[in-house]
Formats: sequence, structure tokens, C-alpha cells
Amino acid sequence: MTAALRQLAVCYRLQLRALSTSWFDGPLAIFFPLMFATAALLVYRIHGDEAAMQYAGLGAAVMGMWTCQGVVASSLLQRERWAGTLELVVVAPVSLARVLIPMTSAMATIGIYCVVVTVLWERWVFDLPLQVESWPWFVVSLLMAAATLSLFGYFLSVTVVRYRSSWSLGAALEYPGWLLCGFLVPVDLLPDWLHPLSWAIPTTWAMAAVREAAAGTSPVRDLGVCLVIGVAYAVLAAWLGRRLLESARRHATLALT
Amino acid sequence: MEAIDLRRDFRSRSGVRRTSRTVEAVKGVSFAIEPGELFGLLGPNGAGKTTTIKMLITLLLPTSGTARVLGRDVVDDVREVRRRIGYVFGGDRGLYERLSGLDNLRYFSELYGVAPRDQRRRIAELLELVGLTGRERERVEGYSRGMRQRLHIARGLLHDPEVLFLDEPSIGIDPVGARELRATIGALRDQGKTVLLTTHYMFEADELCDRIAVIRAGEIVASGTPAELKRRVSGARVVEVETFGVSDEAVAGLRELSGVESVVVEERDQSRMLIIRCAPDAEVTQPVLARLEGTGVGRVSTREPTLEDAYVELVSGE
Amino acid sequence: MTSLRIFFVGGLMSYRAMFNWLSPWILIPSMVVSPICQVLLFAYIGRSAGVGSDAFYVIGNALNYAAIPCLFAMGATIQGERDGHTLGVVLTSPARRLPLFLGRALPVVVNGWGVAMVGVLAGTLLLGVRIPGSAWPGLLVVVVAASASCTGLGLAMGALALRVRESAVLGNVLFCLLLVFSGVNVARADLPPWMGHVGGWLPLSHAIEAARGVAAGSGLGDVSGLLVRELGVGAIYTAAGLLLLSYFEDESRRRATLERT
Repeated sequence: MTAALRQLAVCYRLQLRALSTSWFDGPLAIFFPLMFATAALLVYRIHGDEAAMQYAGLGAAVMGMWTCQGVVASSLLQRERWAGTLELVVVAPVSLARVLIPMTSAMATIGIYCVVVTVLWERWVFDLPLQVESWPWFVVSLLMAAATLSLFGYFLSVTVVRYRSSWSLGAALEYPGWLLCGFLVPVDLLPDWLHPLSWAIPTTWAMAAVREAAAGTSPVRDLGVCLVIGVAYAVLAAWLGRRLLESARRHATLALT
Repeated sequence: MEAIDLRRDFRSRSGVRRTSRTVEAVKGVSFAIEPGELFGLLGPNGAGKTTTIKMLITLLLPTSGTARVLGRDVVDDVREVRRRIGYVFGGDRGLYERLSGLDNLRYFSELYGVAPRDQRRRIAELLELVGLTGRERERVEGYSRGMRQRLHIARGLLHDPEVLFLDEPSIGIDPVGARELRATIGALRDQGKTVLLTTHYMFEADELCDRIAVIRAGEIVASGTPAELKRRVSGARVVEVETFGVSDEAVAGLRELSGVESVVVEERDQSRMLIIRCAPDAEVTQPVLARLEGTGVGRVSTREPTLEDAYVELVSGE
Repeated sequence: MTSLRIFFVGGLMSYRAMFNWLSPWILIPSMVVSPICQVLLFAYIGRSAGVGSDAFYVIGNALNYAAIPCLFAMGATIQGERDGHTLGVVLTSPARRLPLFLGRALPVVVNGWGVAMVGVLAGTLLLGVRIPGSAWPGLLVVVVAASASCTGLGLAMGALALRVRESAVLGNVLFCLLLVFSGVNVARADLPPWMGHVGGWLPLSHAIEAARGVAAGSGLGDVSGLLVRELGVGAIYTAAGLLLLSYFEDESRRRATLERT
């Protein structure tokens, strides 16, 4: 058990190191979502409604996480394939889950960094300090958002890898995620038929928990739902991953670029 | 390790109507490797070497046939096999570019289950073995190909596997680097490891391997020690004739001459080189030149056959 | 006559060659799904903030997203010529270079127009936005103008990318700048003054204003001033791009930098 934990920890640390040495995956990853957050805040700013600005500001802070993690995760296996390391990690005597989860967790850390940058940006550019009633719950909710997003990312990477151009499918998830998770637009405003989609994403619940923490109400229920959904995705991903590898062994798809 | 009648087909789909073609990459390959042996799988590109290795390291399922590594079946006993084998392949890929060599080794030692208290010592030993001590903190993206290859070998040995699979390790490496690499591989065998090496460099197989199997188009066409393979062609002589624009019928005609055992045509930039193997006592130079009347002929020379001739002959199916 | 042929045929050929590797799996998400999503996103943000009508956001974001193919396609064309080692040939070919490059621009403009139309149609269908039938011809003209001037920006960016070599980054940065400064989601009058000022010098700003006017019922004549300004901005960037290209070409003849990877 400790060996497995140590392996996850060391692999996480090294993957984080690899990510942070590249401008794209590290510091610059925040730029695109930050600009969209800015555009949205400019709209909210027109009426000068304090509550609305706080609402958008909180959402914008977490928005970057979706891009840095959710979207990037979908090309995870693809990039391993290009680097030639996919075969090596498959031949290792550990399960694919223990290889991928440290990677998505490293991305989650970048996600947290995105949150911090956005909060600072809002303070500097929009004079918008975020009002948070309960900082401990706030931090817990953010961590839960990052953790479940990394599990969701694991699920995405395993699902999408069959397609050669999975990075493009992943990139196409960026906007829908911003819309569905309730970052800048309350989920209630969306058409009814979209609600189930929103509820199926763990980040939606984490976002709700973040807002509750900021407002001072208890986020426990939303955090619970978020955790359950996140774990469900992880289990599904583990199963899909095993099937993927079996199929790759049969049809020789692992080495193809 | 043994392979019994391994087969692997690939189905590829191409074109708008998705017509599928079946390619038989490996057609019934069988061989056995003794513990502590350095076994070479020699063959040209596309012969099925990599496919065979991938079946043995559990990356591919054979379409039919069985294989056992250290007594364990490669299809059923996957995790046990993976724990005990090391896999090294040639080329630039297979490492995390943005991490240092040391970090790469640390990463893979976690994945391959090297006990934490042994990791530091083991990594240091391996860096020493492959000659990368002092360079391990640099990022892999700055490594030369030879250095990457050596790091690959270190990686393959991290968990001290009993069996090592080397897939074309010296491809694209300069002569000096390749020589160092061969020395390292030889040292592995001296340590008692079993090694399966695939290569298309014949001299490499000759120098390193205890036994060689020559594979062509998915089938093994010959196997034995390097000495045995050379004996297949010894006792003969080789006449090399440089020609300009010789026709295929003329070449066919040469094969019918008495005393000629085989004719292989090698395409060079400006000319076609005919490599004619003939019986030891046969005098074929004159009849050959007579047959080639009308074709431009350059240098003509006679020599003893080498292992390369045996190899070329075997893989070109003459 | 030859100029015209070079213009149409040459442009189409190079465009097709470049998009050869793009499968529907890439095209559909990026050129159909994403613009629709961006339109929806900001339309709902507008509803949530109680600012602006759906039509306002549909037009703004559809045009904004139309810039994407214009920015990247020109850059990719130039990069493709350089990778195929034909850039030097193209720049020094006896065929007049202006029609050559403008010919390459034409499919890009059509592409941009197509993407914008997808966005507008989606807005009409999904959000119930009503654009009077009489406005459509005018709208088409405005969108073509917007695509053309974005292509000019794309050309300048592509030329710059020959040296800077990070065309994907540049493209994304420019797209974001257009998003924030060009009045895509906030009328320029409502932006802080300095931002509105910057926006005036960027493509899209005037076209978006014109398009909103046309959709609200103004005729093309009423917005002609804006259209002229839009095309003018585009022309400036086109000229800058062509100048940069010929400068790099001259420089490369002296220092062999064009072919350097």
C-alpha cells in the first residue's frame, strides 16, 4: 500500500516538474481562459452590480482550471504515444490508472495555479477582491474541484485516445465546459435539457461548493456529490483503460503515431 | 525463453470503402533461447523482428502460436512476465524530454517497482555501467542519440530483469557510439543476463551473438552460431562484377552457368554490382564475362565469402 | 488575364494542399462546434448580466470566431510554403506576387465567412434571434469585409511568424485581443476609453458595429462609413504583411534565414 502511494507521489512530482518547465503547459496555459474571463467580466461590469461581479469573479477563478486540466487531459495518452513512452508505461507492471492519475494530478496543480493567477488578475485589473466568508471551506472546495477534475481528466484521456485527433476533440470541450459548469452563467439559466449534462460533470458541483463557501453556507452536500461523481468517473476510466489496452494488444494500435 | 510457431496478422483498412487487407507480419516463427545466451534476430526492415519482440514482451497478442518467457506464458501471465523483462528500443523517442536523465530513471524505477531503498544505488550503478555519470542532471532534450540509447539501456535494467529485449539499439548511432554500445551489451551477457537482440546490422550480430536466427518476410530462414552460418557459404568463392545497365535476362542466364551457385544483384548509384557465388573449383570468370558481352563491365574481382554474403543471400531468397 | 488565373487557381491549390491533413474530426469541432459554443456562452452571459440582446452577442461572437481561420490559415499557408521550401520560389516567382498572395487569401476569406455564417445561423436557430430577411444581403457583405480585413491581419501575423516562429501562440494572442478590444461582447462605447481607442485600430471593430446596424435594419449605405474604415484597417495590415514578407525575403537572400528551421 505504501509502495503504491510512494509511486503515485514520486510520479506526480516528476510529471509536475516536466509540465512546469514548458511555457505552454505551465505559465501560459492561463492566458486563454483569462482573456475570456476578462471579456465576461467586462460585460458584467456595465451594470456595476456588485453581487453579479462577485458571482462572475468567483466563477472566472475556477474557469481556468477547466482549460488547464480538462481540456489538456484529453490528449494525454496521445502525447505519450508521440513521445514514444506509451509502450514503456504499458509494459510496466503497474496498472494504467497508477500511471495516468499522477499526470492528471500534476495538471490539477497547474489548475490551482490558474485559480491564484485569476484571483490576482481580478484584483489588479477590475479592483475586484473576492469576498469569501469561510476560507477553510473555500480552499477545501477548490482542492476538491482540482482533484475531481483530475479524475474526470483521466476518464477523458482514456475515452478519447482512440481518435487520432483527440486533441481537437478535447479542445472543443473547452467552451461547453465553461458554459455547463456554472462558472459565468447560473446553471438554472440554461435550457432544461442541458441541466443533466451540467450535473454529470463533477466541476459543476465543486463550483457550487466554492460559491457556498464564499457565501458562508455549508458546502458539504455539494462536495459529497462532487466526490461521488468524480470517483465514479475514475472507476469507469479504470475499466475502460483495461479494455483499451486489451484492444491495443489485439489490434496493435499502441505504437502508431 | 521459447517461441512456438508464433503468428501475427495485421488487418489494415484503407480507402473510402474501407476494404481490409490482411498482412501476415509473422508467419510461424519458432526458436528457443537458453539462459545466459545472447541471441540475435537478424533481418532486413519489415521482416517481422519488431513484431516478434512485441509479442514476446506482451505488447501484442499473437494471432496464433504460443510463447513462454522464463516459463511463463506471454498471453496469460502478463504481469509476471512484465516484472521480469526489460525492453529497450532504438531511436530518439521513449524518454521524457523535459526531465533530466536522472529524473527519467527515477520515474521509471517507480513504475517498474524498484524498491525505494535500492533506487539510488541502482541508478548510480547503471549510470556508471552505461557511461553517463556526470551527465545525468541534464535534460534529455539535450542528449545525443548515443546518450539517449545508453539511457534507454539503463532504464531497461533498473529492475534487474533476467531477460532483456533490445530492439535495434544501435540504429542511427555514429560508429564510436555504436562501439561503446556493443561493449555495454557484451558486458550484460557476461553478467549472466539472457538477451534477445534484433538488428539489421550483420556485423553487429556476428560480433555479439552466441546464436543468430535470420528472419525474412516473417519466417526464419536460417539459424545457428555465426560460425555455422559462415560455413554455409564457405568453401565457395565470390566473384564481384561491376556492370552498367545489365538486363535481368542476362542475370538469369548467368545463373544457369555451371559452377555458379547464386547471383545477387546490388544496386549502386551508377552501376549494378553482380555478386556471384560459385563452387570452390569452378572457373566462372570467363563464361560470366562472355555472357555479359555487350553490357558495360567495370571492375571484376574475386574474394572469399563473408557472413554478409550469407546474410544477403538468405534475406534475398536466392 | 494571367493575374486572375494566378489569383483563383493558385490560391485554391495551396489552400487545398494545406488542409489536406485536416480530417473532419478536426474541422467540425473547431469550425462548427466551437463558434456555436462561443455564441451561446456569451449570449447566456449577457442574459445573466442583463446586458444587451441575444442578437448583439450572436453577431459579435460569430464575427470574432470568423477571425480564427483567417489568422491561422494565412500563417499556415506561409509556414507551409516555407516548410516545402517553396516560399523563396513563391516570393521571387515572375508571376506578379500581389495576385499570388491575394489569391491565397481568397479561400481563407471564404472560410472565415463560412464560420461566421455558422455562428449566426446557430444563433438564429438556437436562441430564436430574429434577423429581418432584408438585412441578410447587407450582413453577408459586412461579414466578407470582416473576413477580408482579418485575413490582412493574418498575413501580417504570418509574416511575423516567419521570424518569431511561434505562430500558434501569436494566433491565440491576437484572437484574444480581438475578443477583448474589438467590441465583440461590449460596445466600444462601454469600454474604458483607452481600450475603445485600441479597438478602433483592430480589424472587426467597425465590421461588428456595421453588422449590428444592418441587423437592426439600417441599410448598407448607412454603414458604408464603417465598412470603409474596416477595409482600411485590413488594408493597412495587408500592406504591412506584404512589406514584411518582401523585407524578409531580401534579408534572407543576404543571410539565408528564410529556410532555417
